[in-house]
Amino acid sequence: MTSETDHSHGPHGLGEAVAARIERRWAALSIVIVGVLVCMAAFIGIHQATMPQGRVETADPTTLHLSGEFVESNLGSALEADGSVTVRAIGQQYSFTPQCLVVPADTPITIRATSADVVHGLLIEGTNINTMLVPGYVSDLPIRFKSPGEHVMPCQEFCGIGHQGMWGKVQVVDQTAFRNMAASKRRLTCVD
Amino acid sequence: MLINKRLILSHFWLAFIVFGAALVLGAWQMFVRSPLNAWHFNPEFYYRSVTAHGTVMGYVFPTLVAMGFGYAISEAALEQPLIGRRWAWAGLILVAVGSVVAMIPVSLGLASVLYTFYPPMIGNPFYYIGVVLVVVGSWIWVALMSINLAAWKRDNQDKPVPLAMFANVAGSYLWGWTAVGAALELIFQIIPTALGLTATIDAGLARVFFSWTLHAIVYFWLIPTYIAYYVIFPRAIGGRLYSDAMGRIAFILFVVVAMPIGVHHLFADPQVGAGLKFMHSVFTGLVALPTLLTVFTIVASAEIASRLRGGKGVFGWIGALPWKNPIMLATALSFVMLGFGGAGGLINMSYQLDSTIHNTQWVTGHFHLIFGGAIVIMYFAIAYDLWPHLTGRALDSLGMMRAQLWLWFIGMIVTTFPWHYVGILGMPRRMAFYDYANPAISPQAFSVTMSAAGGLILLTSGILFLIVLIRGQFAARGEAGAYRFAIPLHMPVRIPVALNSFGLWLALMIGLTVINYGYPIAQLMVLKGTSVPAVYVGAAR
Amino acid sequence: MSEEKLYSLRNPWFSISVGITVAIAVLSAVAGLIWFPLLQPNLKLSGIWDAICSAAGVPGLSTQAGAVPPAFKTSNVVMTPEMLTRQDQVSIGRGATLAQRCAICHGPQGVSDANSPNLAGQYAAVTYKELNDFKTGARVNVVMTPFAANMTDQEMRDVALYYAYLPRVPSSLVNPNLTPPAIVVTGAPMRNIPPCGSCHGEIDVKAGSPWLGGQSAVYIKAQLQAFASGARRNDISEQMRNVARQMTAEEIDQVARYYEAQP
Repeated sequence: MTSETDHSHGPHGLGEAVAARIERRWAALSIVIVGVLVCMAAFIGIHQATMPQGRVETADPTTLHLSGEFVESNLGSALEADGSVTVRAIGQQYSFTPQCLVVPADTPITIRATSADVVHGLLIEGTNINTMLVPGYVSDLPIRFKSPGEHVMPCQEFCGIGHQGMWGKVQVVDQTAFRNMAASKRRLTCVD
Repeated sequence: MLINKRLILSHFWLAFIVFGAALVLGAWQMFVRSPLNAWHFNPEFYYRSVTAHGTVMGYVFPTLVAMGFGYAISEAALEQPLIGRRWAWAGLILVAVGSVVAMIPVSLGLASVLYTFYPPMIGNPFYYIGVVLVVVGSWIWVALMSINLAAWKRDNQDKPVPLAMFANVAGSYLWGWTAVGAALELIFQIIPTALGLTATIDAGLARVFFSWTLHAIVYFWLIPTYIAYYVIFPRAIGGRLYSDAMGRIAFILFVVVAMPIGVHHLFADPQVGAGLKFMHSVFTGLVALPTLLTVFTIVASAEIASRLRGGKGVFGWIGALPWKNPIMLATALSFVMLGFGGAGGLINMSYQLDSTIHNTQWVTGHFHLIFGGAIVIMYFAIAYDLWPHLTGRALDSLGMMRAQLWLWFIGMIVTTFPWHYVGILGMPRRMAFYDYANPAISPQAFSVTMSAAGGLILLTSGILFLIVLIRGQFAARGEAGAYRFAIPLHMPVRIPVALNSFGLWLALMIGLTVINYGYPIAQLMVLKGTSVPAVYVGAAR
Repeated sequence: MSEEKLYSLRNPWFSISVGITVAIAVLSAVAGLIWFPLLQPNLKLSGIWDAICSAAGVPGLSTQAGAVPPAFKTSNVVMTPEMLTRQDQVSIGRGATLAQRCAICHGPQGVSDANSPNLAGQYAAVTYKELNDFKTGARVNVVMTPFAANMTDQEMRDVALYYAYLPRVPSSLVNPNLTPPAIVVTGAPMRNIPPCGSCHGEIDVKAGSPWLGGQSAVYIKAQLQAFASGARRNDISEQMRNVARQMTAEEIDQVARYYEAQP
């Protein structure tokens, strides 16, 4: 290696050693940038509890309707003993069941969903709720809605020729309204 | 020295012809799904078109460019005639035949599964067989690049491998290995199911295999562009390459860290564990490194050229650059798009922000900006730079070239910026039509209309590009001289073995793949009961 | 240059690059597989091995207790796209004999003129599934229920394959010039209505969806109304109820009249 006093200038007067030094500094800066970005992502992930699903669970898509938690009568929102809500849904060509989810605002909610046939996706517009439904596996994610309102819930993954028609809905109601509804029915939906 | 000009030219022409056809489909798709079109049509046509557009633009077009450019580099940089000329032709024919075999069922509507395959949806087997043939054709190129380099090294034992060839071979190795993921998915999962040998398929495992290919393929598309940055751009603007060694390190980094990151496409998938997703996320961050290094080296090279031309001042030198030179213009526009696209990419890579935009129009906007924008505009530049050397005729329509590049840039911005925006609003991608009359999505209508207008601008630019090349074929003959690459500011006389060979880096690439993919693949393979019935698309009525 | 040994710890390129790569891999593995999972109380991990296994993605079967059982009979057919797609001459022959008792309503050639469904050329899986649902009580019909009640599984398959084998006969009402209504061609995306043909065969087939061409308008309308009101509930996981309940009375009429006039 040449020393920094090297003066073997190139055509525009930049010595090799100087050029290499500038370059090394930039490389170090680049490494720092990347390091900061990775650490930031990890930090936010932990402190806002937005890590990906913690466990992998399987479910047979052809027998969802026969037994287990995804039978028709068990789909929809369930009020749990601890005050949280579990929403169960399936995606199929070309609808979600339930077609309309009803959930309380400002309450911890767990969505558990799977696919009965091909790969689907579940996205609730106006929120960060977004997951894949892969046949054979159960998607499980914690969510929370800030305030009451209506959202559309399209399938976000190509699932066949009717994909563009696969739009569900989500109704977010206030907590008391939800509790009143839950008093008379064990699984709630807003399907008329 | 370019000897097999016809071979190279055939690759480029085939690439640009299929590109033109797929571009028409792309513009049509933008139009039909926009509010400009009353959506009273069979949605299957849309998905058929997306399948064709994606297959051509993703698998055929960039592969042919990389192959043609790779042969040119091998001859020009190593100054030796291509070894294995017949094999190279065979590779080209395989790619061409594969494309036709794949496109027949697609155009008949028998394989509207999109180019990402999406099992358990299964289309006509010939679609997948065609794609495999394309990949096998490109593997011939991978082997030839390696063989040509080895032959040169044997005769030039103590010389540094020219940067252009070093980068070219790096790209070919990366492709050779990353294509394995999709090849495994196709050969062991999809094609047996498509042929009816088995009626079930593990969709989760297939998605993991595909992610193996899905991300690093982007770097395979990118490498010809980066090669052009390093070895064409400085020479074309009359300058020097700032650093030869840093270029090598950038390409080595791509080889090593482009592979173990694909699971970031599966952040929202239920079949991969959270810990492995985090590991892939970390390596995804690292892959920004070679780009940051490249940006520095190329900007510094531009500054050198400018100061040689008398450019002064801290920023004043920018004005003194040869802006009328199409290569200068293309590189600058490419950098702008790379900057925006890269910023968007940082959002995709972190799994918290990703959940806002996963599978929305944002993603489509993102990869069109990076691939269609930053990368493809340099494919144009490569063609402009090489054409006179391949045809022996000058490309003299400089004004038209600049107009074409500007239109491509403007078209890409007008198309992708609104696309990103509606993605943030939550608009899902890949739908044949949207009911913009519905109040829930009517705010998206204006942006989508803008995107469609951008699509038309892109189509205009694409047509202009083909006109320039065709005119070049009929221009007056003129000797273009030897094809040369940029000379580094400081010519390396001695170079560490590590920066002159690939063994170590390939070992790290494969090692990291095993670490990051070994467990999820092994685990899903042994898992019973997750194979699900295939859903045949385009089946008999 | 040639005497420089690359694969040696003395070579800084080798030792540093391998060292950094291994360090990043190990650190990210420790963070992703151990540290982060243990920071998440909602995962209820039982220890370090549980953390590693769950973060690596070792699967468990979904075991959520306390599912609410259905208050009515639902279909118990396990529907797959390849169900009954292979022709079987022996089965078809048996089916032909069995089908004689169906002829009163469904016609000797599987074409009815009594507003019962035409079965000629119907997908075998569809006929089989409906027979099975009549048998189990998931679908109820005063005429069909007693017929199906005495059929064995094999008999239902035979009849289904026989009818699938018969050619579709265009009805006397066929009118190929009829413009398809919007609800058929494009559906109504925001109401979750895909184009009919994306499941029912004109564009693509979803397993278990019948071919509708030439069916009586009265029958189609009655079924759509039954799905919409919930009087008919044998569609697996509400796949057809989701569509029908979103349709207007006028759209139901349009669809029924359109399909009646199709071949």
